[in-house]
Amino acid sequence: MENKNISQIVLERIKSDGLKPISKNVFSIKRVLFWTAVVVSLIVGAFTFSLVLSSLLNNDWDLYSKFGFNFILKTLPYFWIISLIIFVILGDYYYRKTLHGYRHTLIVVVGAYMASSIIFGSLFYILKLGEVVEKSLSEVSPAYRNIILNRHEVWAHPEDGLLSGKITRINDGTIEVIDSNGITWIIDTTSSINRGKVEIEVGERIKIMGDIIDTNNFSADEIRPWLGVR
Amino acid sequence: MIDHSPCNEKTDVELVGMSLIDSMHFLCLTKRYEDKLLRYIIRISKFSREDAEDVLQDVFIKTYFNLNGFDKDLKFSSWIYRIAHNEAVSAIRKKVVRPSIALEVEDLVKFGDSFDMTKEMDNALDRKMIDEALSKLDEKYREVLVLRFLDEKDYVEIADILKKPISTVGNLILRGKKLFKEEYEKLVVDKGRN
Repeated sequence: MENKNISQIVLERIKSDGLKPISKNVFSIKRVLFWTAVVVSLIVGAFTFSLVLSSLLNNDWDLYSKFGFNFILKTLPYFWIISLIIFVILGDYYYRKTLHGYRHTLIVVVGAYMASSIIFGSLFYILKLGEVVEKSLSEVSPAYRNIILNRHEVWAHPEDGLLSGKITRINDGTIEVIDSNGITWIIDTTSSINRGKVEIEVGERIKIMGDIIDTNNFSADEIRPWLGVR
Repeated sequence: MIDHSPCNEKTDVELVGMSLIDSMHFLCLTKRYEDKLLRYIIRISKFSREDAEDVLQDVFIKTYFNLNGFDKDLKFSSWIYRIAHNEAVSAIRKKVVRPSIALEVEDLVKFGDSFDMTKEMDNALDRKMIDEALSKLDEKYREVLVLRFLDEKDYVEIADILKKPISTVGNLILRGKKLFKEEYEKLVVDKGRN
């Protein structure tokens, strides 16, 4: 093939248009940004996994026999499971944007990402970082409370014997609790047992099993901490 | 015209460094690759020579722009082929034509040897039919077959050019060869009937 002119034409274009190579810094910044995105998605993924783990381990599995499989299905941490999947996809996407990211197959990248999320997520769970995040989110964000944490919905059925809320007052033999609908309940605790690390203190969020007496009175059989039963 | 005879003694990586200092040296790199890349662009796009030359110019300009981003872990040839591939694919999409392969006689020989088809099929290789069979393949198979058997790139180079894992490239080549043979055999049978 004879194509003598292309190289000369290109060189002339470079010279006449004063073209310059893009600065090395631009490429360095791009590389750093993509790696930062990979690391951030890994950390968030690990946090998400710790929240999935926390939700699963702290779920009221023992109530399965009483309220059926539907109860368990309703309380699974769907939001965090979907979030974890999204962060796995994001992690893979950004990793592929790194210099040699294309050299590994999807299975290897996703596998490595999942393994890291599990290892670091478990570590975060052991260090109770996930619990801190979940507690902060549930206190700060009404959206999280009402939509994301379906546990609220499950524990907002006093007619079925399931109630939850924040302790507002402690009396002799009763406590006052405000539920997620803003209704204040007077809870008779004289014949109730405390399950797990529940703290009966003003400001604490608790779950109560028992029987409804009337519109504002509830008799407690068992009181559990908001997070888990241990 | 500059005298670029000393270019032949320089490696691609050395020329990249020199081009960053003085764009005149970039001519050495473009001269080194223009024939190969022009052929490659024509093969995968089936553009006319003039159109392919336009694409090649863009490839060289883009290469020059991105010289600082050249990853020295790659072969320069893999990197510039990657740019050529991307530009060609982008040009094909702009033209909205289904690309097919434009084979030259030497390509035909390479392809026939690679597939050992003359023995297996007991048929004289038909350039038009190879061209047609390749054109019928999905883009992902066509591009690996062209790089492997016409541009004679190894698996690592193809992986770097197409930005795919080596195992994926291996599978694509294996499957591509099988599909190509099937398409070619169909064409041979059809030709026999007619």
